[in-house]
Amino acid sequence: MSTTLFWLAVGALLWLIGLHGLLTLRDALRRIIAINLMGSGVFLVMIALAARVVPSDPVLVALVVTGLVVAVSATALALRLAGSAERGKSS
Amino acid sequence: MNLALLSLTLPLVGALLLILLRPAGGRWVIMINLASTLAAAGALHQVMQTGTQWLELGGWQAPLAIRFQLSPLAALLLLFTAGLHLLVALYAARSRHAIGGEDFWPLSCLLQAALAALWLSGDLFNLYVTLELLSLAAVALVALAGAKAYRPALNYLLLSLAGSLAYLFGVALLYGRYGVLDIALLSELAEADVTTRLALLLMSLGLMLKAALWPLHLWLPPAHAGAPAAVSALLSALVVKGPLYILWLLWSRIAPVELAQSAGGLFAVAGIFALLCGGWSALRAPYLKTLVAYSTVAQLGYALLALGLLLRWQEPSLSAALWLFVLAHGLAKVSMFLAAGELQYTLGSKRVRALKGASQTMPLALFAFAVAGGSLIGLPPSGGFLAKWLLLQPLFQQPQHWPWAIGVLLGTLASAAYVFRVVALGFDRARPTPASFHPDRLAQWLAMLPALLVWCLALISKPLLLWIGGVSQ
Amino acid sequence: MTWTNWLPLAIVLSSLVPGLIIFSLREDQTRLRVALNLGGVVVKLALVVALIAGVDRGLQFRFELPFLPGAPLVLQADALSLLFVALSSVLWLATTVYAIGYLEGSPLRSRFFGYFSLCVSATVGLALAGNLVSFLLFYELLTLATFPLVVHRGTPESLRAGRVYLAYTVGGGTLLLMGVALLHGLAGSPDFQPGGYLHAQVQEHDLALRVGFVLLIVGLGVKAALIPLHGWLPRAMVAPAPVSALLHAVAVVKAGAFGIVRVVYDVYGASAAAELDLMQPLLWLAAATILYGSVRALQQQEIKKRLAYSTISQVSYITLGVALLGPIAAVGGLVHLVHQGLMKVTLFYCAGNFAETLGVHRIREMDGIGRRMPLTMTAFSIGALGMIGIPPMAGFVSKWYLGLGALEVGQDWVLLVLIGSALLNAGYFLPLLWRGWFAPPADWHENNWANERWETHWMLLLPAVFTALLALLVGLLAGTALSPLGWSQLIVNREFEI
Repeated sequence: MSTTLFWLAVGALLWLIGLHGLLTLRDALRRIIAINLMGSGVFLVMIALAARVVPSDPVLVALVVTGLVVAVSATALALRLAGSAERGKSS
Repeated sequence: MNLALLSLTLPLVGALLLILLRPAGGRWVIMINLASTLAAAGALHQVMQTGTQWLELGGWQAPLAIRFQLSPLAALLLLFTAGLHLLVALYAARSRHAIGGEDFWPLSCLLQAALAALWLSGDLFNLYVTLELLSLAAVALVALAGAKAYRPALNYLLLSLAGSLAYLFGVALLYGRYGVLDIALLSELAEADVTTRLALLLMSLGLMLKAALWPLHLWLPPAHAGAPAAVSALLSALVVKGPLYILWLLWSRIAPVELAQSAGGLFAVAGIFALLCGGWSALRAPYLKTLVAYSTVAQLGYALLALGLLLRWQEPSLSAALWLFVLAHGLAKVSMFLAAGELQYTLGSKRVRALKGASQTMPLALFAFAVAGGSLIGLPPSGGFLAKWLLLQPLFQQPQHWPWAIGVLLGTLASAAYVFRVVALGFDRARPTPASFHPDRLAQWLAMLPALLVWCLALISKPLLLWIGGVSQ
Repeated sequence: MTWTNWLPLAIVLSSLVPGLIIFSLREDQTRLRVALNLGGVVVKLALVVALIAGVDRGLQFRFELPFLPGAPLVLQADALSLLFVALSSVLWLATTVYAIGYLEGSPLRSRFFGYFSLCVSATVGLALAGNLVSFLLFYELLTLATFPLVVHRGTPESLRAGRVYLAYTVGGGTLLLMGVALLHGLAGSPDFQPGGYLHAQVQEHDLALRVGFVLLIVGLGVKAALIPLHGWLPRAMVAPAPVSALLHAVAVVKAGAFGIVRVVYDVYGASAAAELDLMQPLLWLAAATILYGSVRALQQQEIKKRLAYSTISQVSYITLGVALLGPIAAVGGLVHLVHQGLMKVTLFYCAGNFAETLGVHRIREMDGIGRRMPLTMTAFSIGALGMIGIPPMAGFVSKWYLGLGALEVGQDWVLLVLIGSALLNAGYFLPLLWRGWFAPPADWHENNWANERWETHWMLLLPAVFTALLALLVGLLAGTALSPLGWSQLIVNREFEI
């Protein structure tokens, strides 16, 4: 149980760090990284919860995989927008 | 159920085909929307006969399955989504300036599909996926306005993602605690313990951020005002309603009563603040579309107030008020944004000031704006009035509830103030802004159409309440 | 569904449909516009006559449409609504002719007449409304339809007036909505009925009923220009003269007063209102408004402003008559609804004629105007003398009944108010008459019409003469059964079941 708790705490901490970064940082790229940190935190929490049983809970694993796909596409869109916004500002 | 699925898959397939084949979009999208609307209407008719229907996608059993649920309310929202998309597509096909490029067509289809899936979803994770799809499509649509809109779009995307991740965290906690994701199952299990509280708090904050509910609304005005007119209409009328729907599901279905009651008061107070702050900002906004965007913030306050009082008093009849606010606001806002788009394009300025004399130069667009505004104020016989009437009924039942009426009163006055700020300018005959070119009558009539529809809502209140009530009883 | 169901709707539509068509007309289609306007008026008058004849023969006219849950949209004809419908239809006829003459050659007439017709439709709908919810609907529509007329000139001043007008009326409308919703929660929304429908609730829900009454009266008092809710009315004087006539006599102010009559008699009922002790404050308010309006009128130097404050004072006679809660006073209040309308509309037509023809706006410019415009001045005099209440003018009849009614219920102090107000009325009207008839003529601003015509445009003159004659006749023929007085007595008999 204590390992689960440990990973849950790490996940929550990551999530909070990401949130803090998102709210305080100005630079677009840093904020995108902060968002990904938040995502990793949540996924970590989910994996920690899934690993409580053996074999690990398939539902949560499926959710994490889906979540990763969503996060990747969102990050791609964010990077594209951030890049265009930078270029628009400099030109 | 099949018809509902058709209404969902048509725009989805349409979007994919449009991206792959790249035909000239407008005509196809209108046909897709029309078919989708008809299918949704059929689904609504069917579900009223048979009651709520369920579907397990792919044949998996719970809890691994993706389960769709078609309630009368979901069918109504499906119809509403498809119908508004049809209206906006008609307008967009006519006014090319209002869409910001051909990419509008597949993206609007994708948006519609995401929304349809959201209304139909019956479990928390599925809702998360549809929410993300919705946000991605919406952000891409905002970015269509060009380089100026990239920054608000990026901000919108990041905050929206943060909201989703907060929501997802809550979902993970709930699953860790109860081991199910299905809303119907969760509603039987949920207890008021610490984990549930934390999960509900996280999910609510995330959803409030995504729905731009006060005080988490600051991203909305730049994003909605910066988008092309047709996009703004869709965003204000539909997209913010998705998270609101989930919030409603969460609190009215899953949350234990004692938690819901204490949260209800907070929601209601936030609603009143939204009405006042949104109204005040709208009154001071220098640009027409910013004004309309702040009015969305304010009007969401009505929905939040209805939700809060619904939870606080455990009064199921207030669901009808909540959803009527959503429907009436959607129709009125489409009309307002389309009229605003037409006005600012033809008069050549985004400023509110430029509307001087618009009642002569563009009477139809200004009239559409005014009529839609009448529904926002809640003048009879509009949909906004009907919603307000339903909100007031339980409110007046007991003398200790009466003070909430002051909130409604202030909200009404605030909306009247910003609507008539625009309308009165239109009657200013000193130095009217000349039209840059001949105003497009058909486009103005298309902007007028939803406004006229919303004014007739009270006359069809009976079937409307039946459709909405089908789920809340 | 027979014709008796559709007739009330048809009366509303007879001005609504022409109004909507007029919106779509081009500015230069003058003849078609005039034809639509007058056609609508004639059709409406014919329908109203049919309605009155039908009610006289004992037919029931009721139109119903599903509207809010538990509260249908009802249009129906009873004695009280007929009084108001007949008044506003006749005055609409006169005002339409007047407006066509007044606005000849000015821009944006399609818009003006469109809203003008909407305004009358809303007024007639309000008169025929069969329950509180329907009343509320038309009351709000009236606000919306009037706003474009108030700001019609589009000058900064008229826009300011329009904003003030909206601030008052939208606020009032919202309070009215609250009151209606509150009462709907208590007793549903049944049809208006003489004697009211709330006495069963008096014991149990007295607090809610009192709060509801205050909400309704404040909401209606805004349009009826009770102090301190009267501020919009003098400011709205910047609107063109036909609009003033509409505001003061045909539609808006009357709608408020009519609503108060409805609420007191047909919602609460005289007995419930008396049990709840609601009437004494209203009575004081009405009396205060009467005196305040008169005093302020005395201070005004512009003709239209003086008339505006005079309206504030005169409309409160209606409220006063209702608030006295006695049958005789009620007759006085109701009949004043008609009398004040006829007299005040005459005065506004005449004031508009002076302004349009000679550019006379202020009272000191009126010297000798009777020699230049004798007919207009005669009409003006009839209206003014009626307002003061010289026998046998219409205003005298109202005040006579109000005074008797006050004595009947033992509120003798009201007599002092009436006498004081009559003296003030004389104080602010007689100087105008003296200047007009007896003072040596002044030099008027040279104006196109000043040299050409003897009086003024016939379309401006005729309505003034017509309504002046009517005002004279309703006073002289007050004893007959079909006069407004006879009709008011019928309504009151039903309410108090005498």
